[in-house]
Amino acid sequence: MGGLDGPPKPPDAPHAPAKPGRSSILRPPDAPHAPAKPGRSSNSGPAPTVSPLEGLVYGFSVALTPTNIFACFVGVVVGTIVGILPGIGPVGAMALLLPTTFALEPATGLIMLAGIYYGSMYGGSTTSILVNVPGEAASVVTAIDGYQMTKRGRAGAALTVSGVGSFVAGSVGVVGIVLAASWLADQALRFGPPEYFAMALAGLMLLSRLSGGSVLHSFLMVAIGLALGTVGMEPISAIRRFTFGSTQLSQGIELVPVIMGLYGVAEILLIAEAGIRKAHIASIRWRELLPTPEEWRRSGWPIARGSVIGFLTGLIPGPATVLATFIAYSVERKVSRTPERFGQGAIEGVAGPEAANNGATAGAMVPLLSLGIPFSPATAILLGALMITGVTPGPLLISQRPDVFWGVVASMYVGNLILLILNLPLVGLFVSVLRLPQHVLATLVLLLCLVGAYSLNNSQLDLWVLVVFGILGYGLRKLAIDASPLVVALVLGPLMEKALVQTLFMERGNLLGILSRPLALSLLLLGVLALLVPPVMRLLRRPRIVPELSGASR
Amino acid sequence: MIERAVALAILVASGVYLGNAWPLPRGTAARPGAGMFPVAVGLFGMLVALTWLVSALRRAPAAAVPAIPADGFGRVIATGLALVGFCLVLPWLGYAIVAFLFAGVLLRRLGAGWTGALLVAAGSAAGSHYLFAVLLGVPLPRGIWE
Repeated sequence: MGGLDGPPKPPDAPHAPAKPGRSSILRPPDAPHAPAKPGRSSNSGPAPTVSPLEGLVYGFSVALTPTNIFACFVGVVVGTIVGILPGIGPVGAMALLLPTTFALEPATGLIMLAGIYYGSMYGGSTTSILVNVPGEAASVVTAIDGYQMTKRGRAGAALTVSGVGSFVAGSVGVVGIVLAASWLADQALRFGPPEYFAMALAGLMLLSRLSGGSVLHSFLMVAIGLALGTVGMEPISAIRRFTFGSTQLSQGIELVPVIMGLYGVAEILLIAEAGIRKAHIASIRWRELLPTPEEWRRSGWPIARGSVIGFLTGLIPGPATVLATFIAYSVERKVSRTPERFGQGAIEGVAGPEAANNGATAGAMVPLLSLGIPFSPATAILLGALMITGVTPGPLLISQRPDVFWGVVASMYVGNLILLILNLPLVGLFVSVLRLPQHVLATLVLLLCLVGAYSLNNSQLDLWVLVVFGILGYGLRKLAIDASPLVVALVLGPLMEKALVQTLFMERGNLLGILSRPLALSLLLLGVLALLVPPVMRLLRRPRIVPELSGASR
Repeated sequence: MIERAVALAILVASGVYLGNAWPLPRGTAARPGAGMFPVAVGLFGMLVALTWLVSALRRAPAAAVPAIPADGFGRVIATGLALVGFCLVLPWLGYAIVAFLFAGVLLRRLGAGWTGALLVAAGSAAGSHYLFAVLLGVPLPRGIWE
């Protein structure tokens, strides 16, 4: 290898098998296989170049087939229900339904799972507004003003504004995905292993800063996730690592039972600890659903701002949907001429955050579809679903599998429309799900988690992984440590390792060679700045505050 | 106290991981081997765990974890044991029986009456078996029915 005409070629890893199985899920998208330098031929063949509009029209022709409409309908209804139910979140539900997508076309399966993701945002707001019980973390902010509106008899208006806001944000998000993802995918074709390594590293750094809690805890989760990602066959030399002689372990640790355990089982253990509670559910009359003209007027700009804030936040690694709602709420409060109304039932406090959390689900699809890199547990599940069906997300997805890319994007618009039509008239029916006794719900969810985990590979190992990570997830929740860096690191770890090894081959062992590549350098700087700026700012502020305080005390 | 114990446990786990990664071929910088990345991850994990442990030791021991009421803790333990039990006996008794027992025991422990627990357990075991084994064709363990 090597020779006189250039650096030694990085070895190519074996391609992921396109069959359902643990290796196909865990193996990272073959991102570094994308042409590392201009001139290297891609394996995509002659890719027809279509404009975003043509692509979207084609996407609607895929999304509007009876099968895909039904998949979308099932996804958004399940999403709404899991959003309503405190306990199983969208990630757990997506993981749970993953085995049902094995038999489906890739686009159909992904349409259903994506429907659960954004559908849960609608459902979460319903219980926040009516019962003051956020079904989802992303709906916590909605409860502040939404429940106050319910107490004042304006629950219907809050639900309508929330539904319309989510729909508008979802539609804006579709436009955003079309523009951003196609552009990013074009750019990403120029990425080589150093860029992918830098992006994964910067993503983990950003995630550690943004995932809430201490950076130390996030780093710890990242370390555990990376370590778990090294279990199994090493992608380049095929050496077995940390398998302890187990054939099953040599294929790696499956992502889905890890997520089911950390989110689904852990949440049920928390419900078991809290004991059985009964929710008091407010009833809604049809005529109460219509907001007044003043409420519409007050909601317009917050929905517009929330949609944009949400979409942009969704592009960043981390708990985008949650973060977006907090940012949108704080922006609305700042721009309001009457900020004292916030917390007392201000409709802007419902409109902005509800638009933002839906916008964020759309934004989070951009790095997944265009780069093949998931920055959240929910998009990691979507990646798993794609890999299971033999589709490799990444820059070549648009040209190689336009049905998947455009079909899923168009289905998001269709799904948002279904949600808007379903959610308002059927709000009473959806909320009645809360009347299901919690012990029955907990038992059913656990049973589904167990059989769902087993069915991935018909493997006892996956059951143990589920239980171990369920207990770990419960412990993490008690210690107030966010598990999402672990999940993302587990997915990004193998990709990072492969890109790192290939980079070292390319640069003849000089890792600092990455710094000579502008994009990789920019990404690394972004990650480092995200980590360093907040503590440096705190340090800079501290000396100013002390004299002020001492002066005040005098 | 719990925080210190957890930090120590993770430090030990990182050490064990690093110990297992060390013998793997690390190669050279220009030709990295299968052990290079795991060693780096192990060192990173140890460093983070050590930092956490030191910072936990330097702080006054505070209640990092809110106290769990005894009955709540009992339900968590019961649920955890039911999960472990499910995994242990599944290959011998088969899915249908184990799912029924799991659901029944858990429902009773979480507060359901006998009749409700038995009915829901039977329904959920049969329903999940039908969905996964019949509709989706998953070969669920049959245990003694094999």
